[in-house]
Amino acid sequence: MPPKAAKGEYIETDTGNKISRRSQIHGTQHIILGGKTVIQAEAVIRGDLYRLPSTAASTDPNNPPQPSNTPSVAITVGRYTYISKSAILRPPSRLHRGVHSYYPLKIGDHVFVGESAVVEAASLGNHVHVGAGATVGSMAIIKDFAVVLDGAVVPPGMVVPSWCVVGGRPARIVGEVGEGYGVEGAEGGMARERYRVVGRPG
Amino acid sequence: MSRPFPYTYISCPCADTPVPDPARKRRSRGSPQKSPTPEQPNVDNDNKESKEAENQDGDEEEQTFDPRSPRSNFSLYPPEQLLYCEDCHQIKCPRCITEEIVSWYCPNCLFETPSSMVRSDGNRCGRNCFNCPTCTVPLAVSTIENVTATGSQQGPWVLSCAYCMWTTLDIGIKFDKPTNIRAQLQKMTDATAAPALDRSRQASRTFGDLKSPLSSYASIDEQSASREANGEQSATKEDETPTPDLGTDARFAALKSFYRTQISETSTSPGDPLGSDLGFSSPGALNRLMSLYTSSSRLGGLYGGSKKPKSKPPVMREALTASEGLRIAPEKGDADVIERLGSHECGWDGVASIDQRKEQSPDVRFTDDLLPLPCLLRTKRAKRCKSCKHILVKPETKPQSTRFRIRLIALSYIPLPTLRPLALPSSSSLMSSPVPDLNALPPLRPIHVLLTLKNHMFDPVRITLATPSVTPGRVASKVTVLSPQFDIGANSDVWDEALQGASAPVTGDPRLAGLRGVPEAGKVWDKGRNWTTVVLEVVPGTLPGSEAEGGNEAGEDGTLAQQDGDVLEIPVFVHMEWDAEAQLEQQNVGKASKPDDLVARELAYWMVLGVGRIKTSL
Repeated sequence: MPPKAAKGEYIETDTGNKISRRSQIHGTQHIILGGKTVIQAEAVIRGDLYRLPSTAASTDPNNPPQPSNTPSVAITVGRYTYISKSAILRPPSRLHRGVHSYYPLKIGDHVFVGESAVVEAASLGNHVHVGAGATVGSMAIIKDFAVVLDGAVVPPGMVVPSWCVVGGRPARIVGEVGEGYGVEGAEGGMARERYRVVGRPG
Repeated sequence: MSRPFPYTYISCPCADTPVPDPARKRRSRGSPQKSPTPEQPNVDNDNKESKEAENQDGDEEEQTFDPRSPRSNFSLYPPEQLLYCEDCHQIKCPRCITEEIVSWYCPNCLFETPSSMVRSDGNRCGRNCFNCPTCTVPLAVSTIENVTATGSQQGPWVLSCAYCMWTTLDIGIKFDKPTNIRAQLQKMTDATAAPALDRSRQASRTFGDLKSPLSSYASIDEQSASREANGEQSATKEDETPTPDLGTDARFAALKSFYRTQISETSTSPGDPLGSDLGFSSPGALNRLMSLYTSSSRLGGLYGGSKKPKSKPPVMREALTASEGLRIAPEKGDADVIERLGSHECGWDGVASIDQRKEQSPDVRFTDDLLPLPCLLRTKRAKRCKSCKHILVKPETKPQSTRFRIRLIALSYIPLPTLRPLALPSSSSLMSSPVPDLNALPPLRPIHVLLTLKNHMFDPVRITLATPSVTPGRVASKVTVLSPQFDIGANSDVWDEALQGASAPVTGDPRLAGLRGVPEAGKVWDKGRNWTTVVLEVVPGTLPGSEAEGGNEAGEDGTLAQQDGDVLEIPVFVHMEWDAEAQLEQQNVGKASKPDDLVARELAYWMVLGVGRIKTSL
């Protein structure tokens, strides 16, 4: 790495994560990054919205220090996943038995989250593309190789099957990606290339 | 233009060949066949005259591909959508394949539906998956009761939409169990069996009981009551239970069985194929027609041409009673509908939109008639080559699986093109920004783009690129490929790459781009294990509007931009040659050939590079 990268915008961790100094990451102990993850400026990652243990949920004011003892994971991000500028990752939440609780957000490998997208899904599979300005509602499940078009609003709880393209408000399945989607270097397989050019001058 | 710049599209040659035929080479087609078919879309006027003379062999050499012609829309595909047939040795686009359904699955619950059930379920999910009738969003099963953490969840269940906040309470439906909702709904909405009258009475009562206090339409009960009093058709009730009518599905079934019996009763001969319960759609119907014609003509010949039919064919009657599926149009149905349309509690919001109605039964007019729609199933499909029937893609049947048993995608055969603008060092280009803005390319200022071709085959490939020196279309941009002929290395074992160090191609590629100096003609820009980068020098042309005086500019530019006329797209003809191992051929075809022999192969196709958008002015 040229010396310029050291004082550049990005902090590079041991596992190769490139995290912008201008990103807002809350609750870092509840976030797992798989390595070679890119988090761009002004991205917001809400690791502080983790799930409280069920005992703590019932008796909220009694033992607040307990969650810190056993940090539960709020957000898992896979390898070569790219979180663009001003994107928001927020764990999904649900009213379950009268208690509002958060659930973990799992993001797979080679995922792209577009600029100012809001992701509240329960899971994004591998090679998922979330377009710019898209919204993925609470507890939605986006399977591998699915594409969420720019500006789409995936309603809460929706399941997007693999190889499907969803778009619109509310999102509907509008098509399918080709069989070659996700091949290294082609559409859907640009994650390594994207990772490589981050933090590089020019 | 659906993709951000820069993009690459590959043209499937099937647009030029009317019938994909592996036995015949495209080149060997005779000229009389050719001239009527609009072969190459951009036949310029001057080219047209010369076409007759030169179309003896390979007019694709003479004519350039025009990405702007309306016809190219149908042949240009992003590389990842294309397949490759190993038998035909050709690129296959979605138009030159046939599909076969491997499995059906519900997109919501991702359960596979066995093919025997698909038909009976009407291609829809038979479980709990429903779409919102107002906004098509998948509905969630939720309970109405506000259960505390201690209490177990039970009580009436509803389907609710998290997007538009529609629930089945709006139409007065609750479910007893959270499972098998489709059957429950079917039971509620369909009076399939039994004497219709008492059952519907009962149903209407249960509906009245079930109707939620939240429902904003307080008119359901009154309406049904009044309708029953009139003995009227329920044009406004979603399931028509209040009337002594059958539900839509039941009526269809009744009509179907009625016509079936009619056919069997009226069929002339006992051996008539229509008499069996095959129905009209069976090939028996055709048989019957054919036998009518042939027998009559033969008989006519035998018996001196008497035109009179032997016997009067029995007449089929239509359904007469409700149990046979008859439905009488209500006396004041339209008047009622109109009255309701005008009433205050209905209003605009109460009327179902066209989009909503087209998914529902034809009687539905108002939003409180809308029923939740079971999710339409999706399919996993295998793909075959249309000409040789070889299977090109075969996914695993399981809906959750993303694997393929067979996947012959074009990217494993043809080199993957990627385009990148070249940032020249500041010494050579003085004031331009390091990377040109592809969405606003200044006209008449040369830019360099790097075209990288990455080989995914295990054989080295020789590539020849060709472009028209001036791009077709209204904006003539000059294009030069600085090194049109080059080799790409084989996609050797992954271990080689690993042993060489994974970063080897990485360091070679873009970081040194600025230090590499100026692009030179005849030299490849960069080269890696299985990829080669060449430089294209592009001089964007001027838009027609910008040359004219200022007043003219706006209008011209507007129309041009609308047609994407300002997009700089370069057609590139790629010709690749490689020596394939005959072994591979032997395996696939099963033909005996010399084992350690190399077969020379070639493949040629057009691709289109979308470089950017040209600015109006400098």
